Amino acid sequence: VSTAAQYYITTLLVYAGVDVVACWGLNLQFGVAGINNFAFIVFQAIGAYTAAVLALGPSTPDNFQQYVGAGPLPFPLPILVAALAGGLAAVIVGLVGLLRLRTDYQAMVLLVISLIATTVATNSTIVNGAAGIAVVPKPLFDTLGLSLLDYQWAYVGLTAVICVLAYLVVHRITGAPLGRAMRAMRDNEPAAAAAGKNVFRLRMIAFVVGGALAAVSGAVLVLFVSAWSPAGWLYPETFVYFAAVIVGGRGNNMGALIGALLVPVAFLEATRFLPDLVNPTFISSMQWIVIGVVTLLFLWFWPRGVVPERRRRPLEPGNGRVMRLMSGRTQRRTDR
Amino acid sequence: MSAVVAAIGFGLVTAAVLALAAVGFTLQFGVTNILNLAYGDVMTASVFAAYGVTLLGGGLLLALSAGAVGGAVLSLLLNRCLYMPFLRRGTELFGMIIVTISAALIIQYAFLAALGPIFFRLPVGEGNVVRLGAMTFTTNELLIMGMAVVAMAGIHVVLRYTRIGKAMRATAGDPALARSCGIPTGRVIDIAWLASGALCGLAGVSLAITLATFTAGTGSAFLVPIIAAAVLGGVGQPYGAMLGALTVGIVSEVSAVYISPQYKSVAAFTILILVLVIRPHGIFAEVSASRGLAA
Repeated sequence: VSTAAQYYITTLLVYAGVDVVACWGLNLQFGVAGINNFAFIVFQAIGAYTAAVLALGPSTPDNFQQYVGAGPLPFPLPILVAALAGGLAAVIVGLVGLLRLRTDYQAMVLLVISLIATTVATNSTIVNGAAGIAVVPKPLFDTLGLSLLDYQWAYVGLTAVICVLAYLVVHRITGAPLGRAMRAMRDNEPAAAAAGKNVFRLRMIAFVVGGALAAVSGAVLVLFVSAWSPAGWLYPETFVYFAAVIVGGRGNNMGALIGALLVPVAFLEATRFLPDLVNPTFISSMQWIVIGVVTLLFLWFWPRGVVPERRRRPLEPGNGRVMRLMSGRTQRRTDR
Repeated sequence: MSAVVAAIGFGLVTAAVLALAAVGFTLQFGVTNILNLAYGDVMTASVFAAYGVTLLGGGLLLALSAGAVGGAVLSLLLNRCLYMPFLRRGTELFGMIIVTISAALIIQYAFLAALGPIFFRLPVGEGNVVRLGAMTFTTNELLIMGMAVVAMAGIHVVLRYTRIGKAMRATAGDPALARSCGIPTGRVIDIAWLASGALCGLAGVSLAITLATFTAGTGSAFLVPIIAAAVLGGVGQPYGAMLGALTVGIVSEVSAVYISPQYKSVAAFTILILVLVIRPHGIFAEVSASRGLAA
């Protein structure tokens, strides 16, 4: 395999890993807990900026970029602090957006929050404005002393490790009674509340863990590509991840994984090979059109995705009634 | 002080455009219960329809009419050919939001793919400058504000005093009950889409005139202020949307004087979020409360 092809493959693998972690985060919020987080990309951005700033260290007055910074912190810390920052931001946004609002309002408020975040980041020097942050050092690059190509492969390894860790986190939640309660809340919130579940707490847990995972994905991405600007996280970007979760099959982690590999990676890479016929924005426009059309086709023909969520049955006859009530089975099921 | 008065003048122009758009948005949401995030892109499409008419030699009024007709037809088609089939297939509320976003992406980027990132300009002239105290308006802006006032009054009269207005309010309140009372809810919904699309088109052409230039992304960039105005007043409430549009328009222009022009949208959106935290149903709570949109 030629060197150029290896660069392409390693870059694609890292992107795939980033998208998979992000999709698991969004699936936990949207697929499992039923929160339409239209500000999802903001949490990825928060993670990216946190990691970038902590890896760079504080900006000096004569620096070419101005931002609020700290550190520099040694390697694994920027990613960990990014996760904390994403979780903290989710707590704040959750208190505003999730406490008293439901469904449509949540979606609209989160959309507005996404736009506020982009406007503030673009027009302030908190994170160097519209130019964004660049020359973020690659973690452990000097310590490892690898060639550029070997470092690419090492980073693929790091991304894989983070994917495994992220999977352990989401699987721990979705496979546990906690995840069952979240699904019950998604399917029939009054019934879940009547069964004694604190729906606000459940929603916040999903929102905060999902936000932290989004932040981790952003941190891994920015430490790889070394730059990040507000143009990379405008609110339509959130929709790519929504499309991925819907195509893969919302509500289960395997579906989110496959969706992440299919939508942001496969479809978008495929359109890259379109001839640049008409104008300079033709390919990027076609990518968005493909995302829209694919999402519509899936919602029409396979609304439950490539890997449909497993229908769970009550465990024992004695528990049957409560479980049925909680999973909303006695109510009209809408996800046919 | 005169800077603030001048800013209020700009705010009134913004509010007029926003009111046209937000009332159309909220009217359609109130009657059909579909959160149509493709609304901004219908606006863009209407502007291009108006642009086509001006290329053929039409003037400002013809451009506005073309925008209104284009918006109305596209809205009706979107509902008939895309949203209704998905609803009949049993797509739930969240799914419909995603369907409308898909439609939004397809419309916006079809224009961008076909035309490229080009700034267009409606060739309708600048209009003369009129001074009213510290405020300055162009005659075009005065026309837009006059049109907004007339449209708002017209909507008020239609909703309050006509049979179709009554039918719309009934359908918005309880579609099943309205149907069993003999109201042809299907036709009412069609009319709601047409009316909302016409307002959307008028707002789009007005926006293109006040901004001087437009691109394939102009409408979608304006969607969030529209949503902010609609939510601020209470979704589904035309009067709320008017009040929300005034608030968002004036607050954003006045804050541009005191804070910084870059943050003018942020100030208005922050008010929206504060209102929602304090009073989650919006200012006029009727529809959102009856739908259980906010606890």
